[in-house]
Amino acid sequence: MDRFSAVHRSIEGDNLSRMSRRDLLWHTGGGLGGIALSSLLNSDPLHADSSTLSGTGLHHSAKARRVIQLFMSGAASQCDLWDYKPRLAADHGQPWDPGEKVELFQSAPGHVMAAPWPWQAYGQSGKWLNECVAPLGEVIDRIAFVHNMVSKSNVHGPATFMQATGFVLPGFPSIGSWISYGLGRSTDELPTFVVLPDPRGYAPNGPRNWGAAFLPAEHQGTAIDPHARIPINDLFPPAAASFVSPESEQQTLEVLERLNRRHADQRAGDSRLEARIQSYELAARMQLSAPQVLDLSDEPQHILDLYGVECGDVPSDAPMNEGQETRYFGRNCLIARKLLERGVRFVQIWSGADNGFPRRNWDSHEDLKRDHWPLARGMSRGVAALIQDLAQRGLLDATLVLWTTEFGRMPCSQGSQGRDHNPFGFTNWLAGGGIQGGVTYGLSDEWSWRPAEPDRATYCYDIHATILHLLGIDHTRLTYRAGGIDRRLTDVHGRVLTELLA
Amino acid sequence: MQRLPLRYRQPSMAMAYGAWGLVWWLSATFTQASPPDFQSEIAPVLERYCLACHNENLQHGGLSLATAADAARGGESGPALIAGDSAASLLVEMIDGSDPAMPKEGERLNPAEVELLRAWIQAGAAWPETRTLTAREIWWSRKPLIQPAVPELPSGLALQARSPIDSFIMDQQQRLGLSMSPEADRRTLIRRLTYDLTGLPPSYEEVQRFVMDPDPLAYERVVDRLLSSPAYGEHWARHWLDVVHYGDTHGFDKDKVRPNAWPYRDYVVRALNEDRPYEKFVREQLAGDHFFANSRDGIEALGFLAAGPFDYVGQIEVSDGTMEKQRVRNIDRDDMVNTTMTTFVSATANCARCHDHKFDPISQRDYYGLQAVFAAVDRADRQYDRDPRTTGRRIELQARQAEIRKELDEIEARIRTRAGAELEQIEQSIAALREAIERARPLEYGFHSALATDQNTVKWVQLDLGTTHPIERIVICPCDDDFNQIGAGFGFPVRFKIEASTDPEFLQHVSVVSDQTALDVPNPGNLPLEFPTFGLDARYVRITAEKLAPRLNDFNFAIAELMVFSRGVNVVTEASVQALDSIEAAPRWSARNLIDGKYPALAEAGLREELAQSQVQHQQCLASSTTEEERIAQVRSVSELAACEGELATLPSPAMVFAVATEFKGEGQFQPTHGRPRPIHVLKRGNEATPDLDAGLMEPGALSVFTSLGSHFEPVDDNSESQRRAALANWIVDRENPLTWRSIVNRVWHYHFGRGICATPDDFGRMGEVPTHPELLDWLAVWFRDQGQSLKQLHRLIVTSATYRQGSFHRADAADIDESNRHLWRMNRSRLTAEQLHDAVLLVAGRLDRKMGGPGYRAFGFLDDHSPHFDYRTLDIDSADLQRRAVYRFIVRSVPDPFMAALDCADPSINVARRNETLTPLQALSMLNNPFMMRMAEVFASELQILSDKVDVQIEAAYQMALGRRATDEERQELSRLAAEHGLVNACRLMFNLSEFMFID
Repeated sequence: MDRFSAVHRSIEGDNLSRMSRRDLLWHTGGGLGGIALSSLLNSDPLHADSSTLSGTGLHHSAKARRVIQLFMSGAASQCDLWDYKPRLAADHGQPWDPGEKVELFQSAPGHVMAAPWPWQAYGQSGKWLNECVAPLGEVIDRIAFVHNMVSKSNVHGPATFMQATGFVLPGFPSIGSWISYGLGRSTDELPTFVVLPDPRGYAPNGPRNWGAAFLPAEHQGTAIDPHARIPINDLFPPAAASFVSPESEQQTLEVLERLNRRHADQRAGDSRLEARIQSYELAARMQLSAPQVLDLSDEPQHILDLYGVECGDVPSDAPMNEGQETRYFGRNCLIARKLLERGVRFVQIWSGADNGFPRRNWDSHEDLKRDHWPLARGMSRGVAALIQDLAQRGLLDATLVLWTTEFGRMPCSQGSQGRDHNPFGFTNWLAGGGIQGGVTYGLSDEWSWRPAEPDRATYCYDIHATILHLLGIDHTRLTYRAGGIDRRLTDVHGRVLTELLA
Repeated sequence: MQRLPLRYRQPSMAMAYGAWGLVWWLSATFTQASPPDFQSEIAPVLERYCLACHNENLQHGGLSLATAADAARGGESGPALIAGDSAASLLVEMIDGSDPAMPKEGERLNPAEVELLRAWIQAGAAWPETRTLTAREIWWSRKPLIQPAVPELPSGLALQARSPIDSFIMDQQQRLGLSMSPEADRRTLIRRLTYDLTGLPPSYEEVQRFVMDPDPLAYERVVDRLLSSPAYGEHWARHWLDVVHYGDTHGFDKDKVRPNAWPYRDYVVRALNEDRPYEKFVREQLAGDHFFANSRDGIEALGFLAAGPFDYVGQIEVSDGTMEKQRVRNIDRDDMVNTTMTTFVSATANCARCHDHKFDPISQRDYYGLQAVFAAVDRADRQYDRDPRTTGRRIELQARQAEIRKELDEIEARIRTRAGAELEQIEQSIAALREAIERARPLEYGFHSALATDQNTVKWVQLDLGTTHPIERIVICPCDDDFNQIGAGFGFPVRFKIEASTDPEFLQHVSVVSDQTALDVPNPGNLPLEFPTFGLDARYVRITAEKLAPRLNDFNFAIAELMVFSRGVNVVTEASVQALDSIEAAPRWSARNLIDGKYPALAEAGLREELAQSQVQHQQCLASSTTEEERIAQVRSVSELAACEGELATLPSPAMVFAVATEFKGEGQFQPTHGRPRPIHVLKRGNEATPDLDAGLMEPGALSVFTSLGSHFEPVDDNSESQRRAALANWIVDRENPLTWRSIVNRVWHYHFGRGICATPDDFGRMGEVPTHPELLDWLAVWFRDQGQSLKQLHRLIVTSATYRQGSFHRADAADIDESNRHLWRMNRSRLTAEQLHDAVLLVAGRLDRKMGGPGYRAFGFLDDHSPHFDYRTLDIDSADLQRRAVYRFIVRSVPDPFMAALDCADPSINVARRNETLTPLQALSMLNNPFMMRMAEVFASELQILSDKVDVQIEAAYQMALGRRATDEERQELSRLAAEHGLVNACRLMFNLSEFMFID
């Protein structure tokens, strides 16, 4: 039995010491598709050979092995970034009358409001982008847009849960957790699912957005703070623990292992005890590996420049500005690339924190120009760099990039310079492994308010189903029994968006 | 079902009984108000009589009746049914008549059942596409609860059995060729027992005393001691709090703290320590206010229904009448239904929210009947008195006040009669004056800018007169708004300027009419301000505020009216208003109001003076009509009223618990129902936008599958909200409810053994597990129900069994037969929970504070911002508060405590019946490096150093304190060496990381 099967079998276990294969199925609810089981027994089906099915445990051959989810918290405006509507410029300042009553979150509908900055067509696909995301013009032909996204909630918390977990309430695993559960661990040096929160703080719902809920805790996202002395919780002893030195650490761990092994040897038939000894070995490896990922000193200057990680060194309490956004977001994008290179399966990067004063997210109720410009410029520079960098390293083919946000913003103004929430229509886009670049699927109406075909709106279920599909997973068969239901990431919904596939 | 040759076919009922039969059948069909319901009426019949032979696997005659499609497709003889035509349907033909062809074996359908099927087919044979039928054999958990006989064991085995539990376990074992393991040694037993019953390890002295105790009942005495320890309630309350998903914040975004959640947690600890009979425990938590009115427990226990998440933004900020609000409330009630049904009856009722339950007989109607139980409650801070005597006195005083007020009213009525027409006249004039004053301040206040946080924010408003006029003067009328008691002059700028121009952008041809930007201007009150303009030509007039008026914690710019006179006439009639920004809150505030001709009149001041005079007259008139006797009575009554008021004020102020409530202090869009139920409809596909209005309003109810329990409650009085919950509580604690009693004994078993007799304690349905020892489960359930419903007696019964007292060591022979130990041939080894580890580390280090109850300790830095911030890195580990047991931890939903989460503590977003157990590298890192663990290692070391300055003595003491045993020579040597070279603290840190510390044999 190799090391990983031992670890997996035991950590998946309940309080009983040894489990047969059948018990394992029993424990996980019996409703488990074959896939998760195989991942428990083989550490990394994808890396074994993604082109064939035999021995991989996948439902079908995978196009991608890893995912980056870019999450714009606060609701980024689709009609100011990439859903170009000439009608908004033409009717700018006119009363907005879509012909029916509109239920808004905070306000009554104001006047039609054009994007504050000009638009331009890019690439062979001729996709129109706003100036605030112009850096993405470089990679526009790699991106597939979905402009007819709809959310089931108009409130940040539930809507963020929906994009992150597929449900509008707490208690459900995040997409990264599902993928960790489905595909298993791919490296023993880093967590399988890593989260890079906005440096200003957590988005609404906090770490529950990357929680494992009813899945075992090993599948939850691990937050990394690249700026902290201890970037992962408890990775190193606290500074106050002066009694720890490298020598003491080595000897302590040696004695600990010896005593724990003796304890385990006296208790045959309980694989958890061996797994626990191994977890300390893995912990030591993570201590070595994590700082290396966060150390950018080996990166050549042209890469640092590409991502803009040396831009805008300004005090962190300054109002949002382009330089600072570029620096923060670009650094996280670069770290994300390094994490993927070392085998991390799912990286989630956040732009924007919770609501508060001054504004520190995309929730531009009062002043879109003030907030969206720095956020969009910083984000687009980092993301464009990431896509280019992954491509030049040959990694993009097997990496899926998802850009998302909890909902969109209205085509009319709130006050005179802001926009209210728009759960009726917003944009997601995908790029990378298995995605056909340069396409736009699912149009919005002439206002960028609702889907052009309301009956054929796209929900997060469809996006999630598509991502699982590209990873070799049938979204209807990745299940976990909880509270009497074989739960799925896509609930009872989901359609693979074949229109986006290469 | 094989089609018979025509000549053998049974005559149908209509043929047999001729025209009379047909009439009878028609009337039966047409008098039925609505067609039979598939889920509750048709499916049970088909499942009972047909599915055994006609299911997805077994298809006699090629026929399956598992799904609508199967039935329509039919078998070798053709379709089984033809929707809308029962006479032509083979199904009816086969079951009908005096000697029906089907079912071939067993009981026949009774005439009522035949008619039901007939009516159903006639009405269109509605059969939900997703509903798959299976043969109806009553699922184990729904079988009536009957106590089985205790198995008789062969004499050799019987000697080993200590309790009926052992008889059931050993009976099954011997049939499988298994046998029990020998009893564990005493050190192991007391360690297991102490952790299991109190969540804490035994002290070394306790271990030694038990090991040496010659009393044959020494073990039982330890059990009794532990069950009477307050630590028992603390530890078992934590299990219960997992199940009900207790938390101290709301969850979602704006994860606001819940400062009054803890009284419920304390109630659970208290109820368990007092060994509350289970029936009462259930009643208190669902409807304590109904069954035990004005008792402290009866209110605090209601925290049960409110324990889960609360969507603060959705409830408080989203407007009534929106779809969003309906969604929020639907989810809120869903959580109450789900928590109640999983906790008490292990049923997954919420699977029937969008459609009938796919696996268990729970219809959508059942589900929404359960929602209707909670139709009039919200989660909120609920007032109560800890001491019921306080409540009694408060009610007395309030009653006395009401009496006095009535007396006063009677006196006043006599006086008024005497005062007659004069008084009436004065009162009429007062009313007229009040109206005039109200008229003088119109409903349309004026223009109001957006709010600013900085007083020096520049705001402007301007008129476009439509055409250029020679203008003579401009008049500005200030606003009058009582907001924040500001009144006259509300929003009037402190510094401003007035400009006129022919350019709408005011970039050229600008004439400054008045510049008041250099100095602060005194507030004009209601006085209109007039500015001469000497006939200058202008089309646009703009007022720019450069220093705004203070409002609450912010600033604004507001004016009531702007007039522009040209040739003696106000020329704003054709004008339009533009502003930098404007709050549009009709009718009071709108930019349009600036030129509507309505503004607070100067006349108001004079009117107020007149009103004051009339009020004096009014007083005089009353006084002159009052007799001396009446005057004295009035004085006496008023002073007695004040005395009541005074005593009310001295009563202990009411406490608060976050619970379900119908009366509470509303906030924003979140207002109490005052007991009026919100309308509950069946929601098609669970969607708030598609209520099934035809199905009518849902009445409170429970699961209709248990017909003898009465799923639909006695009509409840709409004025008594608590009756709804009380009815559900009665249904749950009914002796005949087969789920309730099995559920609780199985939960208790689960915590003692690490796996329930049914391994899914929250789901006794078809998606759950079947019990490994169903007879034992039933025996225990009946025993518990009928023997006082004492949880402590149940614990005693379980932990004194030979089954529980076995060693946990591996036996290859037994493992070959039952590797996963379902048949309990040994005890299961358990890993400490997050709370057990936390408490044990504190206890061993000598720092555990045993103070019980009260607000939770906050193991995080807290900043109450727009959205609160919780930071677990900023805390002082040495603060006294943090030395308490983990059951008193303040539980944040959005940001979990990373240390406790790494150790698999329960997620308060979900009802946790079983915790997951992981062993991850991140957990190892937390055990090694978490600041709490590091600090406790230091504290432990300093305690040991007080005991002795010899390292080997210190290590020996560490083993006794942490593991309850002596160190072996080898262990003492190894750790002494480590301590000598790198300090005792590193040795102590190692002790806490030992698997032996973490696992209980």
